[in-house]
Amino acid sequence: MTAVTETPAWIAEITMAELEKDPYPFYERLRKEAPVAFVPALGLHIASTRAACQEIGSQSDIWDGVISPAGGRTFGHPAVLNVNGPEHDELRGMVDPALQPSEVDRYVDRLVRPIAKRYVEAFENDGHADLVAQFCEPVSVRALGDLMGLQSVSSDKLREWFHKLNVSFTNAAVDENGEFANPDGFIPGDEARAEIRAVLDPLLDKWTVEPDDSALSHWLHDGMPEGQTRDREKIYPTVFVFLLGAMQEPGHAMASTIAGLWTRPDQFERVVDDPKLIRRAITESLRWTSPIWSAVARVNKVDTTVAGTFLPAGSVVMLSYGSANHDANAYDAPSDYDLDRAPVPHMAFGAGKHGCAGIYFASEVCRIGLEELFESIPNLERDETKEIDFWGWGFRGPVELHANWEV
Amino acid sequence: MTGHTVRLQTLGKVTSCRGDQSLLDAYLRDNVWLPHGCTQGTCGSCKLRVLDGEVDHGNAPAFTLTPEEREQGITLACQATPRSDLLVEPLAEVSDDGVVRHPLRDLTGSVVVLEDIARDTRRVVIELTEAMPFNAGQYAELEVPGSGVWRQYSMANPPSETHRLEFHVRRTPGGIATDGWVFASLAIGDTVDVRGPLGVFGISRPQEEPAILIAGGTGLAPMKSMVLHALAERLVPELYLYHGGRTEADLYDGDLFRALEAEHPNFHYRPCLSEQQWDGATGMVTDVVLEDFESCKGMSAYLCGPPAMVEAAGKVLKRRRMAPRLVFKEEFTDAADLAAAGAPLATAS
Repeated sequence: MTAVTETPAWIAEITMAELEKDPYPFYERLRKEAPVAFVPALGLHIASTRAACQEIGSQSDIWDGVISPAGGRTFGHPAVLNVNGPEHDELRGMVDPALQPSEVDRYVDRLVRPIAKRYVEAFENDGHADLVAQFCEPVSVRALGDLMGLQSVSSDKLREWFHKLNVSFTNAAVDENGEFANPDGFIPGDEARAEIRAVLDPLLDKWTVEPDDSALSHWLHDGMPEGQTRDREKIYPTVFVFLLGAMQEPGHAMASTIAGLWTRPDQFERVVDDPKLIRRAITESLRWTSPIWSAVARVNKVDTTVAGTFLPAGSVVMLSYGSANHDANAYDAPSDYDLDRAPVPHMAFGAGKHGCAGIYFASEVCRIGLEELFESIPNLERDETKEIDFWGWGFRGPVELHANWEV
Repeated sequence: MTGHTVRLQTLGKVTSCRGDQSLLDAYLRDNVWLPHGCTQGTCGSCKLRVLDGEVDHGNAPAFTLTPEEREQGITLACQATPRSDLLVEPLAEVSDDGVVRHPLRDLTGSVVVLEDIARDTRRVVIELTEAMPFNAGQYAELEVPGSGVWRQYSMANPPSETHRLEFHVRRTPGGIATDGWVFASLAIGDTVDVRGPLGVFGISRPQEEPAILIAGGTGLAPMKSMVLHALAERLVPELYLYHGGRTEADLYDGDLFRALEAEHPNFHYRPCLSEQQWDGATGMVTDVVLEDFESCKGMSAYLCGPPAMVEAAGKVLKRRRMAPRLVFKEEFTDAADLAAAGAPLATAS
């Protein structure tokens, strides 16, 4: 590919490890100097500005959804992220009904609130906790797990699965031949997939003959002729998409909201005092540290030019929402968390036909989770002796979040 | 002056509002309840989104209604007057919480009690010519005769007494309403213009949570109304009243509360002095609360007093893990505070 030879050194030399630790400096330079650029370490283009991500995300006539090579290797085909046209319509028709706002409103409070209460009760008298491991992640996986029909799978197992799938999904580095630079990076994802199938196959067998109201039971039956169920090979790749992104990201969003508010103690106090501000706090957090930072890609059906870069048909472009949401053309002081900033819409949930199906569900899980946490422990404080490290390029959030409070 | 038509989008309620009348005033007089608090432009709880039409933001201060909010069509119902017919929507949720609200009314009464009850503090009782139904914890406005200035005071009598309103007034040195009126020329038999009721603070319906009432100075007024009402109607399982002052000279109505304590095993009265050793509780009222309760989880609180006391009490209750949504606050917003915050002083002195 000719683009490689034209690549400036600072782009050619970037590594996955650097991006995972802190992608912001690199992307800030990309936004200024190369809004759509080929990145050899990834073997694909990156769109880093808000304008470029919006243009590509919204033009479904030019751009199809596509999965990154590492994502495709992790999920298999046909995942909802990787199909287009009628095939995509069928999979969205399968996953969307339970996630429509009016439907979510029907069940979300009685689904999530008891879960959040239970996890807070488990540590509220300890006086300290790692909120990522003890609250944000378990609430996130338990809420979606129960919605999907996975009550029999423990929260720890669901967390283990998304962590393993994440390792593989973001194992994006390629060598000079475009081959995966670290093939062993797919082992955790493969292990998780095998285990998921072993656990889910008997459940799918049961739902085939005894349908119930769980989401996965609906995925088998909805839209199928009487007496038939959807081929589970068609279902599994999208199950893996859910067990990674949808399980992990509400937890990331909740943790990033707390971490963001801790950078502004006055704003943290206002939100704890007035739970009605929680929604706004989450929205700003999604902009500040977008959980799905750089995990969504598009491929063009025809030759096109975006932000001055010519892209021949078949170019894969990674939409970096985490970077678009720090675009100084749209946001003042974008790296600051600020509850009071003018509410310019963020791109954390993507755009167009492949926009996130779980926008409302995820936001409600976060809201109810944080409501319960702040209600039960209004004297929550950051443990100042521990650093807050964020990690991740594909998916991003605090690794640990240590809090103290007076019991 | 002819009125403009103002419509609430979701509730569909329509009222008529004069060009010189605030939107909040028009709705409350029409017995349509809208969220509000101080009615002076400082608390921001009455924000409305103007969906269609034009308003004059009046004296809305920039710290309550920011330039960005003005650009987004948001206004303060207590300050805004209509320039055209309007379609509006409150920012706060307007839900039926089961509390009966009473319309805002203009009334007249005469002073029947005027007595010194504590240092720089007077009790004023006004006998109205007509009833003014209100909820325990609400306030009314009294006009300083001839000045066009209105001052806000909470009713201290229980809501069962709708003809006879009791107010507690603390002197502000140089204040138009206090040094210039209540502590100077006001006399038994004087006629006073009253408008009310206003405000959302108080206890109006049964609650499961025990309640801690914390009052500073004349912040005791709404608490007295709430205590009398809650005990008479058995609204609260356990009721704790804290009253803070500097010395015994600042406390009042102690005999009444001690008698209530003797009569009601679920009522506890705890006066606190910050600058005098005595056989009662000593220290800032908020510190006494902190010491008295190991945990406030599952309890609720009502706070009324100077802003610094209300803020300190909020922090103490949070430290004792009371859910913030169960903490209800009424701050004094006196003329000096508004001036310090740079607010216009059209209604203050």
